[in-house]
Amino acid sequence: MSLNDGIALALLLAGCAFYLAGTIGLLRFPDVYCRLHALAKADNTGLLLICAGLAVLGQNWQTTTILALVWLVGLLASTVSAHLIARHAHRGGQKPSETKSRHP
Amino acid sequence: MIGLILDALIVISLVGLALQAINAASLFRAILHFVVLGLAMSLAWARLDAPDLAMAEAAIGAGVTGALMMIAYRRLVELKPEGEPARTTQRSKLALPIAVASGLLVGMIGLAASLTEHRPGLAGLAVLETMDATGLGNPITGVLLIFRGFDTLLEITVLLAALLGAQAVTQRPDPDPSLTTQDPTTPLVGALLAIVVPLTVLVSVHLLKAGSSDTGGAFQAGAVLAASGVLLILTGRVEASDRPVVLLNLGLVAGLVSFILLGLAPLLQGGTLLALPGIGAIYFLESAMTLSIALTLVLLFAGATGLKRGRHG
Repeated sequence: MSLNDGIALALLLAGCAFYLAGTIGLLRFPDVYCRLHALAKADNTGLLLICAGLAVLGQNWQTTTILALVWLVGLLASTVSAHLIARHAHRGGQKPSETKSRHP
Repeated sequence: MIGLILDALIVISLVGLALQAINAASLFRAILHFVVLGLAMSLAWARLDAPDLAMAEAAIGAGVTGALMMIAYRRLVELKPEGEPARTTQRSKLALPIAVASGLLVGMIGLAASLTEHRPGLAGLAVLETMDATGLGNPITGVLLIFRGFDTLLEITVLLAALLGAQAVTQRPDPDPSLTTQDPTTPLVGALLAIVVPLTVLVSVHLLKAGSSDTGGAFQAGAVLAASGVLLILTGRVEASDRPVVLLNLGLVAGLVSFILLGLAPLLQGGTLLALPGIGAIYFLESAMTLSIALTLVLLFAGATGLKRGRHG
C-alpha cells in the first residue's frame, strides 16, 4: 500500500464517519431544525472528504475537477433544500424543541 | 473479498428495500423505499459492469419515476384531504408459497447460470464484429438504434402513448398551482437555478454526445434534461397550462416522427426498413429522441397539455 493509498483510505474513512454522524443526528435529534443542521453540515463535510479521497486515488486533474464539481453541486443542492425545508417548517408554525442541554 | 462483501450488501439492501416498498405502513413510505430501491438497483447494475443501465436506472428509475410518484401522491392527498386510508389489503394465503417458489426458481436459474461455462451469445458476437462498420464506439447504442431499432421505435411510441393516455384522463382543467414550492421567491432558489439548470443541460448534451462512443445515450440524456424541467416547474418558473403549445407538441413527436422517416428512407433506395443511413442520421435521431423524451417526462410531471411561463418566471 503506497502513501497515496493510505491518505485516500484515511480521507474515505473520515468521510464515512461524518456521514454516519449526520445520519445518527437525522434519526436522533428532536426537531426538524436540529435534524437539518446535522444533515446539511455533516453530510457535506463527508462528501468533501470522500471526494478528496477519490481525487487522491484518481491522480488526474480531470477526475479531480469533476469531483470538485460534484461536491459544489451537492453543497448547493443541500443548502437550498435545507433552507426551503426549514423555512416551510418555520412558516408552518413548528417551534424549535425546548429540551435543555444536559451539560449547561 | 471486498467486492464480495459489497455485492452481498447490495443484494441484502435490494431485497430489504423491495420488501419495505411493498409492505410499508403508508403509501408515502412505500414511495420513498421504491426510490431508494432504484438507487440500490443502479449500484447493482454498476457492479455488473453495465454503466449504461446503471445510469438509466438512476436517472429514470430513481429520479424521474420518483418525482412522478411523489406528484401523484400529492394529487391523491389533495383529492382526499382527510388523509390516506389505512392500507387494508388482505394477504392471500397463496402469497408465501408463490414467493418461495419464485425465489427458488430465480435461485436455480442463477445457480445454473453461474455453473455453466460462460459463452457470449451468437447475436452479441455478431454485433461486436459488425460494430466497426457502423462508426459507433458504444455497442449499446448500436444495439438500440441499428440492430434492434424496431424495439427502440416501439419504446418511443409507448412513451408518447403514455403521455396521451395521462392527458386523456387528467380531469383538472385549470393548471395546478400547488406544484410550486412554498416560497419560490427566496434568493437562494434563483441562485440554485442559475447554476444547476445550465449544468444539467450541459450534462445532458454530454451524455447525448457520449452515447456514440461511451456510456450515455438518448434515454439518459432525456431523463437528465427532464430533471431540469421538473426543477423549473417546482420553483414556479414554468407552469402547467391547459392550452397546447405548437412548438411543444412538435418537440413531443420529433423523436418518433424522425425515427419513422429515417427508418422509411432506405426503402426509397431499395434498402431495408430501419437501416439508418450513416452516423449523421444516428446523431440526429438521438438528439430528436432526447428532446421528445425530456418533454414527455416533464409534461407527465406537470399533468398538463402544455406549459407556459410561470408566475415567478
